[in-house]
Amino acid sequence: MQSTASHAHTSATDSSHGHAHHEPGFFSKYIFSTDHKVIGIQYGVSALLFLLFGFFLMLAMRFQLANPGKPVPLVGPLLEKVLGEDMAKAGVMGGDLYNSFGAMHGTIMVFLAIVPVLFGAFGNYVTPLQIGAPDMAFPRLNMASFHAYFLGGVVMIASFFTPGGAARSGWTSYSPLASVTDLVNRFDGQTYWLMGMVLLITSSLLGSVNFIATIIQLRCRGMSWMRMPFFVWAQFVTGFLLLLAFPPLEAAGLMQLMDNLFGSSFFLPQGLVVSGSPLQVSGGGSPLLWQHLFWFLGHPEVYVLILPAIGIVTEVISNNIRKPLWGYKSMVYSVMSIGFLSFIVWAHHMYLTGMGTKVATFFQTTTMMISIPSVIILTALFISLWGGSIRFNSASLFALSFLPMFGIGGLTGLPLGFNASDIFLHDSYYVIGHFHYVVAPGTMFAVFAGIYYWFPKITGRHMNELLGKLHWAGSLFFMNCVFAPMFIQGFKGMSRRMSDGGTTYFGLGVDPGVLKLNNMIFWSAIGLGICQIPFIINFFSSIFMGKRAASDNPWQATTLEWSTPTPPPHGNFLQEPVAYRGPYEYSVPGAKSDFSPQGDKN
Amino acid sequence: MSLKAFHIVFVAASVILMAFLSGWSFLAYQETHSTEYLVWSLCAASSVVGLVIYGRFFLRKLRNISFL
Amino acid sequence: MEIPYTYKARPDTGLYNAKVGIWLFLASEIMLFGALFSAYILLRVSAPVGFWPDVALAWPRGLLNIPIGTFNTAVLITSSVTVVLAWAALKMNNFARFRVYMVITVLCAFAFLGIKSFEYNDKFSHYVIRLQDGKALTGHIEVDGKHPRFWNFSDQWSVAKLAEQKVAKIKVEMDPERDVHGHVKAHGSHDHEVREVAVSDIVFMGSYTPATHPFFAVYFLITALHGLHVLGGALVLGYFAFPGAKMWKSNPEQFINRIEVGGLFWHFVDLVWIFLFPVVYLL
Ligand code: HEM
Ligand SMILES: [Cu+2]
Repeated sequence: MQSTASHAHTSATDSSHGHAHHEPGFFSKYIFSTDHKVIGIQYGVSALLFLLFGFFLMLAMRFQLANPGKPVPLVGPLLEKVLGEDMAKAGVMGGDLYNSFGAMHGTIMVFLAIVPVLFGAFGNYVTPLQIGAPDMAFPRLNMASFHAYFLGGVVMIASFFTPGGAARSGWTSYSPLASVTDLVNRFDGQTYWLMGMVLLITSSLLGSVNFIATIIQLRCRGMSWMRMPFFVWAQFVTGFLLLLAFPPLEAAGLMQLMDNLFGSSFFLPQGLVVSGSPLQVSGGGSPLLWQHLFWFLGHPEVYVLILPAIGIVTEVISNNIRKPLWGYKSMVYSVMSIGFLSFIVWAHHMYLTGMGTKVATFFQTTTMMISIPSVIILTALFISLWGGSIRFNSASLFALSFLPMFGIGGLTGLPLGFNASDIFLHDSYYVIGHFHYVVAPGTMFAVFAGIYYWFPKITGRHMNELLGKLHWAGSLFFMNCVFAPMFIQGFKGMSRRMSDGGTTYFGLGVDPGVLKLNNMIFWSAIGLGICQIPFIINFFSSIFMGKRAASDNPWQATTLEWSTPTPPPHGNFLQEPVAYRGPYEYSVPGAKSDFSPQGDKN
Repeated sequence: MSLKAFHIVFVAASVILMAFLSGWSFLAYQETHSTEYLVWSLCAASSVVGLVIYGRFFLRKLRNISFL
Repeated sequence: MEIPYTYKARPDTGLYNAKVGIWLFLASEIMLFGALFSAYILLRVSAPVGFWPDVALAWPRGLLNIPIGTFNTAVLITSSVTVVLAWAALKMNNFARFRVYMVITVLCAFAFLGIKSFEYNDKFSHYVIRLQDGKALTGHIEVDGKHPRFWNFSDQWSVAKLAEQKVAKIKVEMDPERDVHGHVKAHGSHDHEVREVAVSDIVFMGSYTPATHPFFAVYFLITALHGLHVLGGALVLGYFAFPGAKMWKSNPEQFINRIEVGGLFWHFVDLVWIFLFPVVYLL
């Protein structure tokens, strides 16, 4: 119903201008485009910019942790000028500033960088192509989704400049802390955060409805469920996670907004005392309620961060091993079970809230259950490598190193999932290490793999292999130098939230050795940043000067996106595509080449 | 699920609500002995009957429309 | 290539795109309202003793006007019936009848909203006053001979503000006595008895707004969100009845689909109320 209207519109303008090929103007082509590929690129570019911004926030924090109380080099004076003396006196990062950088680093990375790049960018660009669809089912909703996302990002960034600074209660915004950060100015950073979140939730709602509807309705002829590339399956499940897990956070966000603006007490218990004076509220609310609602989103959300990444890795690996994927079906069933189970594990983030041992046992059990399908997927990918003639290019190197990195992330999750060991590890640097192993060398590597892999389809040119391999080797090395020490710090009991890097915790002058690691982490983070320079150069120069892709299918891949012209035109396919076979038919005995594309009849 | 099917679900939910309201008012009547509650209870009960009759009429009228 | 199945059903799923879309959207709406209802249950169950239900007032019993709520329920059920009949009329090719039913639906929606705002108004200008001796009064108040109006926020009174303005006494126009189910007692004091209260006796005073009790916070949040859905639905259905009805000429099949999608949304909104009414009014 969306599309007919918009098509009617274009044809009307065409005829009124009197020539057949009316070129759309800049705005309708790049800003108000309804083409899923343009929207995908819009998402990709904005998300990568947010990613860079989030990275810089982290660098500043890391400097502070390694050198507590020293002025931040280079940007210190700027911080003081822009954010005011309260925040960064003489360029030294104050506690409040550290907290708001921490909260915003998490928020930006999760909601404005990783999800948009996986779901918004790769999902938008690749999914319709892989199922042989001309576009998304609701192109105008797709555009609205991007606009809501962008606006949400603007609100989040704007919050840095409000009096009192951006939100500073962690990316989890636990109440009552989040409701009492600024009792005078109720329109504080936290309120901005909540409004930004409402926009982002709207965006992901529109996006997920669109993705699921597209995958159900627009699969081309012959594209049965079990012939869908695994990437599409991952997007499909992710869509459901976003669709069903985000609304409770929206509900919670509205409640916290009411607490902030209208003085209600959804999350404020009775008898709350803030800096020595009792809070003038009715009380009677429940702080635990916020945590339940937040983690009901929060845990599915972490699978939103990883499933599409596994999807990308599967595509890249299957193409570069030149043999069929091992256990495609078990992977599909696993991803479905993960989707289902991820809705019933959320309280493993809350073992220490005193919610009761019976509840904790239940969530401990489900948490162990969800590791099973995760391990099945990882195992299937590892076994697939066996006996393959692996091509080592930048894309496949990133995809291959994803496997062990994600493995470390997942395995370190198990001790967190048992409540006995989590009592010790909770809220320590160990947790930070755990999930960063999943998201940074995990998901981010998949994103890089995806960029190197699909770049020729999007631009018609390859990225430079030498720079790509430099980027890979440096990133792999420094990622591990950044995150592995955090496990050690966590075991020593270092809290994840201290702006002085743990000095207070261990006592002044006492250094059990782990504080020195802060220095190592800082310099490794700088190294990691430097290793992204080849990528940035490579990315921009290859758009214009990269080696031209030899054909529409330079990687000799099988899935449908490679049977389109390069780059795919509006409407994607020249003739109606048909899927004749499964997605990963490589080295089929008797076939004339080592790959049999889905769209080729014989 | 088509609008037709959803309407049936909706009417069923309304029937349950009215039955609940009827029971609730009756309990209130037993506690307070105020006849107003009894009247409420009877009204709610009769709307249960009314809704069921309507539901059957609806099904007959839209016989030819699919449930999907 | 055109996007397929925009209004024709896809053979293997039996659905057109918009129907898949609206059901997915409704699934997420179920999660939204489901979370709010669960929050209500959790807050109520885990509230401190004597807080909910309130010791002095048996809150939330008797806070909301059940006859009005029931009437509004009937209004919404009617509107759901008429929206289906409007759709059925189109299916039977009777456009005039469609329009009549659709107009009734939209009128019902606005009637609902009108009644709701009457209820809101009543709440905002109501006060609860807790006294030193543990008793509590409810009713409209009069300060310096003036009745505060809810739409004027500077007119909201609290103990702190009374003290600040050096008010010594206020008048309370008491609510009639109610039984445990919220009904006005047959033999209680019916006439709006006016009582004078010394400010020094007051421990707490607040209007029926979210800040006064979590029940009001829950009540206003859920009903306001529901009200926004009613408003949105009414605007869309109204659009279909008049300007959007042009499509009946150009593409009747798609127009019928639009009415069905609109009707599905409308049914969902009404279904939320079917849950909401017993949960916040009766229990
Ligand atoms: C399958 C194995 C996994 C298990 C058993 C697991 C378990 C856990 C547990 C129990 C916690 C809470 C720790 C605490 O606060 O004390 C946690 C935290 C976390 N996990 Fe995992 N996890 C797994 C995989 C993942 C994946 C795939 C991601 C995806 C990105 C992820 C992201 C996170 C994040 C972001 C947090 C920290 C949230 C916070 O407190 O800020 N985990 N994990
Ligand atoms: Cu989790």
